[in-house]
Amino acid sequence: MPYLASLTDFLLSTLYFLLTTFDSRLTTYDLRLNTMKISVNTEIALTYLSSRKKQTIVASMGVMFGISMFIFMQSLMKGTNDYFEKSSFSSTAHIRLYSENKVADAHMLKDFLKDSSVKILTNPKQLKQSQGLNNPYGIIRNIKKNPQVTYVTPQVTAMVIYSSGSVTLNGTVAGVSIDEEDKMFDVQTNMVTGNLHDLNRVNNSILIGKGIADKLSLHVGDNITVRAGIGSPMIMRVIGIFATTVKQIDETKSYANIVQAQNLLGKDRSYVTDIKINIANYNDAPKVARELETITGYKAEDWVQSNEQLKAAFKIRAIILNSVIGVILLVAGFGIYNILNMTIYEKIKEIAILKATGFSGKSVISIFLQQAIYIGLIGAVVGIIFGFGITLMVSRIYIGAGTLKYLPMSFYVPHYVEAVCFGVITTIAAGYFPARKASKVDPVTIIRG
Amino acid sequence: MENIALQATGITKYFHDPVTFPVLKQINIEVKRGEFVSIVGKSGCGKSTLLYILSTMDRDYEGTLEINGKMATGCSLNELAYIRNSSIGFVFQFHYLLPDFSCLKNVMIPGLRLGKLSPKEVEHNAYEKLKMFGVEDLALKQSSKLSGGQQQRVAIARALINDPAIIMGDEPTGNLDSKNTRIVFDLFQQLTKEYHQTIITVTHDDDFAHKSDRIIEMADGEIVR
Repeated sequence: MPYLASLTDFLLSTLYFLLTTFDSRLTTYDLRLNTMKISVNTEIALTYLSSRKKQTIVASMGVMFGISMFIFMQSLMKGTNDYFEKSSFSSTAHIRLYSENKVADAHMLKDFLKDSSVKILTNPKQLKQSQGLNNPYGIIRNIKKNPQVTYVTPQVTAMVIYSSGSVTLNGTVAGVSIDEEDKMFDVQTNMVTGNLHDLNRVNNSILIGKGIADKLSLHVGDNITVRAGIGSPMIMRVIGIFATTVKQIDETKSYANIVQAQNLLGKDRSYVTDIKINIANYNDAPKVARELETITGYKAEDWVQSNEQLKAAFKIRAIILNSVIGVILLVAGFGIYNILNMTIYEKIKEIAILKATGFSGKSVISIFLQQAIYIGLIGAVVGIIFGFGITLMVSRIYIGAGTLKYLPMSFYVPHYVEAVCFGVITTIAAGYFPARKASKVDPVTIIRG
Repeated sequence: MENIALQATGITKYFHDPVTFPVLKQINIEVKRGEFVSIVGKSGCGKSTLLYILSTMDRDYEGTLEINGKMATGCSLNELAYIRNSSIGFVFQFHYLLPDFSCLKNVMIPGLRLGKLSPKEVEHNAYEKLKMFGVEDLALKQSSKLSGGQQQRVAIARALINDPAIIMGDEPTGNLDSKNTRIVFDLFQQLTKEYHQTIITVTHDDDFAHKSDRIIEMADGEIVR
């Protein structure tokens, strides 16, 4: 109940303050504050604030800028991070399972020489493993049992040479089930021309990157010769062209039906080189990847490992932005500190009178700390609105690079909550020291002069 | 003991700047309930200093102070604040109102701080007190817009708001003309006679002092009469 009472107290007094700020003709009595249960400390604090509106507004503006910049910066940072994460997931699965070459060990020797001698292998070499996974569909069934896994799709990756006329180009063909690929990576948004579903309908079809199309001057409906390292060349029909934001991908990558890719390599239908897995929460990828490694025995690479530079960029951005925000809040805090300090010098006689008429040090702290808190809260409320406004405005700035049309901004509620908390904490910290100083005023020395 | 409002025993105080010297030397005062006491003396004899000690604001002294039979010496700051709030009304040499507030609010603030009555009742009482000094018309005016004499009367009204057992004044009529001085004096007398409130004032006004119940004359930090 006391909390409820102080909450209503606060709301009423904020209302009172806002009203008196906008209409100076209103006095305490017009609002009949006496009938409301506002403590006398609050009333004095509010009177001081509203009798010095300019200073109050300047101080609140400091907080407002701090908070709105906080919101803006956080929104920009999260928006950008989200964008880069998302765009990295447009080509990378959360987890990729593949077969990795292993270093030779002594287990074969143990099998042949079944004695107690110690087997030493000097200068072990990498052993070439089959590029394919054993029993891939069994593995997929197994992986699907994991409750965190949302999508699983097999892929055949083939290193190929594209050629058209006399020009050749190195690259990779990803043999995929295009429907699943689209669900996982949203291939559709990258399409420049053509229909990606033709990959299922047209025999010997291929979906090529824009860079390949440009270099080999190919259009939808043209033929392209594709040759995998050891297989025989195949003539395939271009049914679509896609463009990502990454030039390197556009110049090398193409999609084909998984069966086509198997044919290209001269392999059977059970040949799968990668299994791509998406999970519900991509931040759990490292953990899930370790689990899958244990279950399947193959290498499971999570997106964090394959995008370390992305993580580093996130961290650097976070440090830069947080230090900027910190400085802004610090400056706002000093603003409040200064203004309250000045108020206390000006009001030192009044503080002495209050103490002489029976206000304790605690009451005096309450009076001045409340002023800081109200400044902070007013700044917070306006800052939230202002911060939202800036974020909204900036999110309309056109960028138009690759798939990025507008500046990525996120509207994330916890940022606003954090901003208010930081703002209020800063003002309380900045207000406490002047308030304590006020509480220590000795009425006798002041009144006697 | 019942009707002793204030008892000070062996009050000694030193000033340390520029050199340590005693301003008050072994002062003993006993003031009965309902008594009207004037403290007189030349400037610098320590009468104001004594008053600030008696009002509990100054804690830097030797000796003991009892207010309404309760020991005030050694109380915490918060306890002293409560004693001042509930049992002492203080009128300063200069009016000392809070300029941002209306007169009514100035009078009400100590009452609201005490919190014994509802704000409505405090407001009613404040009006009554202002009426006693004939300044009720100014109740809603901002206190900084008043003349010195008007402010002083509001300040006296403020000292009375909690019906304190003891009213202390440091030259309470210093800024008033003779007519208003008489009004204030009559009121003080009425408070002592009818409500048994105790009044201790420091004054330079001999007329005022001679009309009061008792005169304490001080010289060089000692009571001479």
